[in-house]
Amino acid sequence: MKVSQQWLKRYIDLDRSRDEIEKALTLIGFEVEGVEETGLPLLERVVVGEVLTSEPHPNADRLTVCNVSVSDEEEPGTIVCGAKNYKVGDRVPVALAGAVLPGNFKIKKSKLRGVVSDGMMCSARELQLGDDHQGLLILADRPSIGTPINDVFPERDTVFDIEVTPNRPDCLSHVGVARELAARFGLSLEYPQVKSRPLDSTPNRLPALLEKVEVEVPDKCPHYRAYCIRGVQIGPSPQWMQRLLKAAGLRPINNVVDATNFVLLELGQPLHAFDAAKIRGGKLIIRQARQGEEIVTLDDRRRILTPPSTVIADAERSLVIAGVMGSIDAEVDEGTTDLVLEAAYFRPSNIRWTSRRLNLVSDSSYRFSRGVDAKGTEYAALRAIDIIQEIAGGRLEGPPFVVGEPPLVEREIEIGPRFICSRLGFDVDNSSINEVFDALGLYARKQERADGSIYWTVGIPSYRLDLERPIDLVEEILRIYGTDKIPTARVVVPGLLQKDDPVDVCKRKSAEYLSGRHFNECINYSMRSAEEVDQWYSHAAASSLQLANPLASDQSHLRPSLVPGLLDSLRFNRNRGNAPLRLFETGNVWRERDGRLWELFSVAFLMVQESASSQWIERQSPDFFQVAGVVRNLLRLADADADETPFAPIESEDSWQEGHAAAISDYTLGFQAKAGMINLAMLKKWDLEGTVWAGLVYLRPAFLRNPVSRQGFRSISQYPPVSKDLALVVNEDILAEQVKVALRKAAQDASTGAFDVESISVFDVYRGKGLPEGKKSLAFKLVFRSMDRTLTDIEVNRAFEAIQRSIVAEGYTLRE
Amino acid sequence: MQETLDTIVDDAAKDGNAVTSRAQFETFKAGLMGPRGSFTQQRKQMGRIPREERPAFGKKLNEIKNRLERILTETLEKIEKLESASRLGLSIDPTLPSPEEQPGSLHLLTQVREELCAIFRQIGFVVAEGPEVETEFFCFDALNTPPDHPARDLQDTYYLPEKIHFANIPQREEERYVLRSHTSTVQIRTMLDKPPPLRIISPGRCFRRDTPDATHSANFHQIEGLFVDKNVTVKDLKADLDYCFQSLMGKEARTRFRPHFFPYTEPSFEVDFYSGHLAKVGAEWTEIMGCGIVDPSVFEAVGYDPEVWTGYAFGLGIERIAMILYGVDDIRYFYQNDLRFLQQFS
Repeated sequence: MKVSQQWLKRYIDLDRSRDEIEKALTLIGFEVEGVEETGLPLLERVVVGEVLTSEPHPNADRLTVCNVSVSDEEEPGTIVCGAKNYKVGDRVPVALAGAVLPGNFKIKKSKLRGVVSDGMMCSARELQLGDDHQGLLILADRPSIGTPINDVFPERDTVFDIEVTPNRPDCLSHVGVARELAARFGLSLEYPQVKSRPLDSTPNRLPALLEKVEVEVPDKCPHYRAYCIRGVQIGPSPQWMQRLLKAAGLRPINNVVDATNFVLLELGQPLHAFDAAKIRGGKLIIRQARQGEEIVTLDDRRRILTPPSTVIADAERSLVIAGVMGSIDAEVDEGTTDLVLEAAYFRPSNIRWTSRRLNLVSDSSYRFSRGVDAKGTEYAALRAIDIIQEIAGGRLEGPPFVVGEPPLVEREIEIGPRFICSRLGFDVDNSSINEVFDALGLYARKQERADGSIYWTVGIPSYRLDLERPIDLVEEILRIYGTDKIPTARVVVPGLLQKDDPVDVCKRKSAEYLSGRHFNECINYSMRSAEEVDQWYSHAAASSLQLANPLASDQSHLRPSLVPGLLDSLRFNRNRGNAPLRLFETGNVWRERDGRLWELFSVAFLMVQESASSQWIERQSPDFFQVAGVVRNLLRLADADADETPFAPIESEDSWQEGHAAAISDYTLGFQAKAGMINLAMLKKWDLEGTVWAGLVYLRPAFLRNPVSRQGFRSISQYPPVSKDLALVVNEDILAEQVKVALRKAAQDASTGAFDVESISVFDVYRGKGLPEGKKSLAFKLVFRSMDRTLTDIEVNRAFEAIQRSIVAEGYTLRE
Repeated sequence: MQETLDTIVDDAAKDGNAVTSRAQFETFKAGLMGPRGSFTQQRKQMGRIPREERPAFGKKLNEIKNRLERILTETLEKIEKLESASRLGLSIDPTLPSPEEQPGSLHLLTQVREELCAIFRQIGFVVAEGPEVETEFFCFDALNTPPDHPARDLQDTYYLPEKIHFANIPQREEERYVLRSHTSTVQIRTMLDKPPPLRIISPGRCFRRDTPDATHSANFHQIEGLFVDKNVTVKDLKADLDYCFQSLMGKEARTRFRPHFFPYTEPSFEVDFYSGHLAKVGAEWTEIMGCGIVDPSVFEAVGYDPEVWTGYAFGLGIERIAMILYGVDDIRYFYQNDLRFLQQFS
């Protein structure tokens, strides 16, 4: 809201600098978003002059010597001038000897290169009327010669554009802001006095301007007042009012409309003036809008209304969207002579709804939406009537039409010093508390309890809708007492039995691990395009991941994977001439399984091969087994027990290259990991060349939060191992894991219980010479070890032979 | 005889120089000490010389043997040196770049988040997490946001379609899912889950329906803090935030509380900081975050007794802090992932 210092001065003696006021407003909770200086400072001996002649200066090329008339009576003076933008006959501001211009610039009679100058002709900047210093300020309106310049320009004003928080609708008015500043500066506040006494006005013999006011929707309009004024003369409002309205950002219209707007900005109560002659059927009805009802609002737009909006209608048509905006049908215009003035209280929720539905925010709806002073209607109406009578004439006629009562909003709050201290953490002395209550116009009465402790009963005025509970008063006390008085204190930390959320721990560990492995962390948006989710994930899932109200079409869906974002990052970098090799991201993804949606924590990474020419020695290029190794480490960091779980090939997932990608587990069970090559056709869609390897884990937060029990100690053998190698010839499509499982079973079968096979691992895969087409040889190392003695060759050989017999019996062929 | 022995040593010293491989060495050694070696031959002479000369001869033999063994050892060492030289190859050029040179990096937002978390961990906060898809209850109702508050508007908050259900994001009733617009939702979930006292921070991603520009992003990150205990006061809040900003920006950092309004705190403040050494923004008070004393109605919504428990809450934007600390002048850098940006802060 724009607040004018000149306007505030009508209620408080606000003789403070711009900086002081700005700081005060800021520190009591009204952030100043802008300050604008308008008008002219008070300037003595600066008057309107006319340039009569202009001759070149005899001694200076850039100067001219002018004859300037500054008074009808006196002889013209001589002024030396450097400007070029004027012509003979122009009227300009002239600072005469003795004048002091802004910036303490004293004007004296002086010689300029040998020519005496009696004063100075001024630019806009020299008068602080703007930044223009290109030339003289030409007064195009040609005010009379000799007029003091302050009569030509409005007086100095400072306009503060303040943010009023939604809880303080009472400060959407100059009186409201004046009240706050009065409290802060310790000034007394003078409310505008009203003179009109509607009940005293005598009835007359003319037909009544209005016969009836009906409220059909008292729940939305609990209180309505209408005053009749006869015989106004419409014209422009006086200069002082136009200036104040303009300062506050309003366009002057005519004296009656300006008067209602003035009161709106003065007291915060929206009013509406009807042209009485345009009210048909002699009555006003406050009713619910009909479905499809049309109205052309004052901004010249056709609006189609629906319930439950409220309208003010006459016998035939609606004239005003209640609390929002009037129609052109009942507008006050040059021909208006009789008025009906409305002052009402509308419920905020209804106005808010209407205003939002119509996307129409007016000064009136803005205030009603936030809540106006329910008890302030009469005062505001009388204030407006005073002003209308003063500036437009007219006579108040008869008692007002009053329907309903203002809702009961006053209340009392009890609060004591102990409560205040318990919330603030420091003492504010009782007299300061009293001062705050008084300064804010809260009716505080000091009371004493039986135990001698004191407290206040604080009456809350109807305009303070935000004060309901003792804690609300604590805020008021601190606000006015000053947040700068909060004492500096040391941090006190009570120890609490709590731990970081395991999801955060996992996120942190993963990021540190990957960045330590030369990965660069990326952060991409969570929202992706429909097309991508469709192609990358699945058509069915795409529909369930769609946002109801996306803002941009390429951000319409929740991401099911971090990988597409990383592919974007890869492409973005390559297009910029960067060559990232390893990227990763952590974050949440959303996935669908059997009609159920899951939010999962995910870590994903990409590895690409660097171009052959970029290094002076060759480095290992990424392959499945490197990616799988990183993925396994990520699972370990998440305490996912998967060391013994083999990867299984991923089949028919569009995003992965079949035969070159594999997965572990399923996230519905807690965690899942994938590793492999990005599908080549998919890469083409990204316009990415070469191959891209990716790995990821999905983790259910609940899985991470499962308490991990402390791992107990298992004793380790103190005796040496004996290892034996064994090669088996199998079909090409047999997975190593399958064979390993068979070997482990064979080892179990062969075990005598005296000692175990400690580990079985693949150490060689061979194809080619010596083996038939379609076959491969898998070589395993079996390690035997006992917990309690050194094994002898004889017993190990016996066990090894038993295992060989057993595996052959399973149908495997030993490689000779 | 003596001359012969000395000749053997002289010859061995000469021949040893010519030995360059282990095979040659073995031959060389055998030629001296082997069964038919020249020295072995000489030693066999012992039986043939007169008895009285034997001690002197024995002594001489020993001396010669020692000299020969020294030659053999030296020769062997020479060969080993040659061998390791050929195994090691040429000496390295240590100025060539390491192929692992591309440094890994944590995103600047991650670094700032961790720095802030570390600061708050030091004063007893722990990190709490919650879902990014939230429900209206946790995002608005429980935080005292009235049903027709503009924050709930479709203009400002992303909604998910009606009748959608997430298996692991519990709703209160049948309220709609939204993308959380702040991480205060985590505070509500934590309070519903655990009894007071609590001291948590919730860093995380938030969403607002903003068109991106230099200072707005539809995805952004916040850290919200909540401290609930008996007798938590405005003074504590100020002390803890002063500590935070001094940790972050140096001892000269100052904060200022400006009264403000948030539905979930009362009193509420916006916090400005001032820090002379931050050239770009440090000269004046700069708005940095919001905070306040938890509104009693929030405690009622989660079943905490507001007569017994008090608390404070605060929230700040990680992007904003990062921009101030590092002088990043456009929020979009954080989401572009340009490698040159990512690696700048590694």
